[in-house]
Amino acid sequence: MNNAFYITAGELAQKGFENTPDELMSAKHLIYSSPATLAFNSPGAQGFGVKRAGLAIPGSVMLLVSPGCCGRNTTMQSRLCGYQDRFFYLLLDDTDIVTGRHLTKIPEAVKEVFEFCDKKPSAVMICITCVDALLGTDMERVSRKCEELAGVPVVPCYMYALTREKKLPPMAAVRKAVYSLLKPQKRHSDAMNILGFFAPLNDDSEIYELLTKAGIKHIREISRCEDLAQYEEMSQANFNLVLNSEARYAAQQMEETLGIPYIEMMRMYHIDKIHNQYMSLANAIGVTFDDSAHYEAAKKAIDDFRQKHGELNFAIGEFLNADSFELAWALLSYGFGVSEIYGTVGERNFVFVKAIARLSPETKIFSNLSPTMLDYEPSGKKIDACIGNDAGYYHAGVPTVDWNEERQPFGYAGLRLLLEQLDGALKGDAK
Amino acid sequence: MKNLLKLLSPFAPDQSGAVGVLYELGGLVVICDAGGCAGNICGFDEPRWFTKKSAVFSAGLRDMDAILGRDDKLIEKTARAVGQTQVKFTAVVGTPVPAVIATDYRALKRMAENKTSLPAICVDCTGTRLYDDGEERAYLELLRTFSTKEYETEKGKVGIIGCTPLASGYMTEKIFKGEYGNGAVTFGMGSGVEDISKASQCEKNIVVSTGGIKAAEYLKQRFGIPFETDFPVTEAMQKVIAHDFSGKKVLVVHQQFAANKMRKLLKERFDCTVDVATFFKLFDEFAQQGDEHLSDEEQLVRKVSEGGYDAVIIDSICNRALKGYRGELIDLPHFAVSGRLDENGGQVCLA
Repeated sequence: MNNAFYITAGELAQKGFENTPDELMSAKHLIYSSPATLAFNSPGAQGFGVKRAGLAIPGSVMLLVSPGCCGRNTTMQSRLCGYQDRFFYLLLDDTDIVTGRHLTKIPEAVKEVFEFCDKKPSAVMICITCVDALLGTDMERVSRKCEELAGVPVVPCYMYALTREKKLPPMAAVRKAVYSLLKPQKRHSDAMNILGFFAPLNDDSEIYELLTKAGIKHIREISRCEDLAQYEEMSQANFNLVLNSEARYAAQQMEETLGIPYIEMMRMYHIDKIHNQYMSLANAIGVTFDDSAHYEAAKKAIDDFRQKHGELNFAIGEFLNADSFELAWALLSYGFGVSEIYGTVGERNFVFVKAIARLSPETKIFSNLSPTMLDYEPSGKKIDACIGNDAGYYHAGVPTVDWNEERQPFGYAGLRLLLEQLDGALKGDAK
Repeated sequence: MKNLLKLLSPFAPDQSGAVGVLYELGGLVVICDAGGCAGNICGFDEPRWFTKKSAVFSAGLRDMDAILGRDDKLIEKTARAVGQTQVKFTAVVGTPVPAVIATDYRALKRMAENKTSLPAICVDCTGTRLYDDGEERAYLELLRTFSTKEYETEKGKVGIIGCTPLASGYMTEKIFKGEYGNGAVTFGMGSGVEDISKASQCEKNIVVSTGGIKAAEYLKQRFGIPFETDFPVTEAMQKVIAHDFSGKKVLVVHQQFAANKMRKLLKERFDCTVDVATFFKLFDEFAQQGDEHLSDEEQLVRKVSEGGYDAVIIDSICNRALKGYRGELIDLPHFAVSGRLDENGGQVCLA
């Protein structure tokens, strides 16, 4: 029996965002961290969680100040991702978490860590967790004390899972933290930053070519900075381009403290929307972009793929380098089917739910985190391919493209790469 | 500085130990956290998550739930999930969040029982302690709640307490049945809450994890069931004894009962001296002279450097802390330390 809760796109669009069923709202039910969701719903499980993201400042190390449980997964993270020399832990005991007495130990611990490192760190990130969120710890003040004692920049990072749905959730807060060491300097009209990710965009993304042809010589991303000097050059930017909304607060902070304005774009897979966004960007920075060759190449890739594979039916997950609903809408508009989406409906992407409802009202929308997903069984229309390893978990044996590599796809090149990978999966290539 | 780890990562915490005991019992387990603790348990400390389904959920607490102590909301969510799944009891497992706000677990238990009409247990974990502490608390709560009736003793029936992946490195009861007989009841692995209810049928208990001692003592006191400690001979142990330890002084670092078994195997085969050290619980009554509890990595380094050991048998993830050691380092994986299962040849088990 399939008890997993779902609602069709048609029903949901009709209800409206305000009447989204509780089962789709993670704050309204217990949370099921199924194997399908662990990659994105557990701290640092895969990709960039707060801990790994906090180390985006070149040469930095992290001191995690928390009960042992919060640092547990770092055992794997440090070993598998080459971070083992960059994590340190100050473990709290029962008395610490009630009285907050650990705060007096932190400066000494930072000093000891600094002295321990053979290669002196450029900064020490202090990561604190739910305990300090509840204790109301003023970590800015503690960090200043640490700087005085250890003589190294100290930056607080907040891994406050309790505030996940707040204005400044942990992944937005850490983005603010990693740019906080930048100091004002003269801005250069031919320099800009791309904000949003902790790994670079794929080198073949046309955005580099378009910006370069428009006269921008220095396109900087934090993940491409090899040392602190390169990182510091980011404050020379004439503007920031925000490609992930979680970086918006960091951009706002940089506007306030460094005077760098920002422009926001969204990663999209709908070819016309990609084009429209580029035109808007060109307009905003006062240049012109000729993206026609890239548009045509992407269009041809869609046509070739459809001709080769016919009217495929997809299931789309949410651990993706995409918004699940925007991607579903794009695929539907290319003439494919999307019968199941496992995703988180929000105010921001509800517009895509409505668009999906117009093209495919029967598309089922599930919440990965609902306890009812314990009983999920595939049913209904046959799925030909999955995008996202969470979708692949539900449809074992169906060709799946994980689409969650650290290097970030963007624009027409991203769309082409997705189709390429889908083609490979459908041909039976290894993931 | 005490409690500052510069070379090792934190070990499996108490809430992971508690979930390890409850995992297969057929209950609805609510980890009283914001999501991160549940993610860590399911993604790292509970390897069965990928092979056996279990109703383990996060409470999904948010800051105002914690600040305002909205236990009623938690119970509401729990009752709703009970209505959507088939479970026999509910269990709330603590984390640092309820520890900071001093959650009243007794009240929570009563509220859960009233709302769901199912038995409920609460395991007071804080995230600051280690897995065997959580195992201990979970076993005791289970026995106090379910093992209240005295059944007639079944001749030859042996209960195995503490067989969790964290303590043993195994995900199934096969190795325990192989060692102690097919009739053995492996509490928490391949058995359900009904077996906990009938714990008094056992003629004898064997404790294989330090987290099981208090439970065995409880059963001894309540039903007069004697117990002993032991650990099965694992593949990793067999690899260790392929080395030559003749005339050597050896240190074994693991959970106490696995380490004791390793010592027994070494001494049976070689003329050697063996000490045991552990980051987890060390019971004096099962220890020998020279055995030591290690509170942190500094103490491990001191023990090894001052002990004059020719060989140290330890999970290889700890080798980083023993860089200056000139003797032989031999790997003995401990899942609670490194996330490496003996069952899959010492590979890291990851999502």
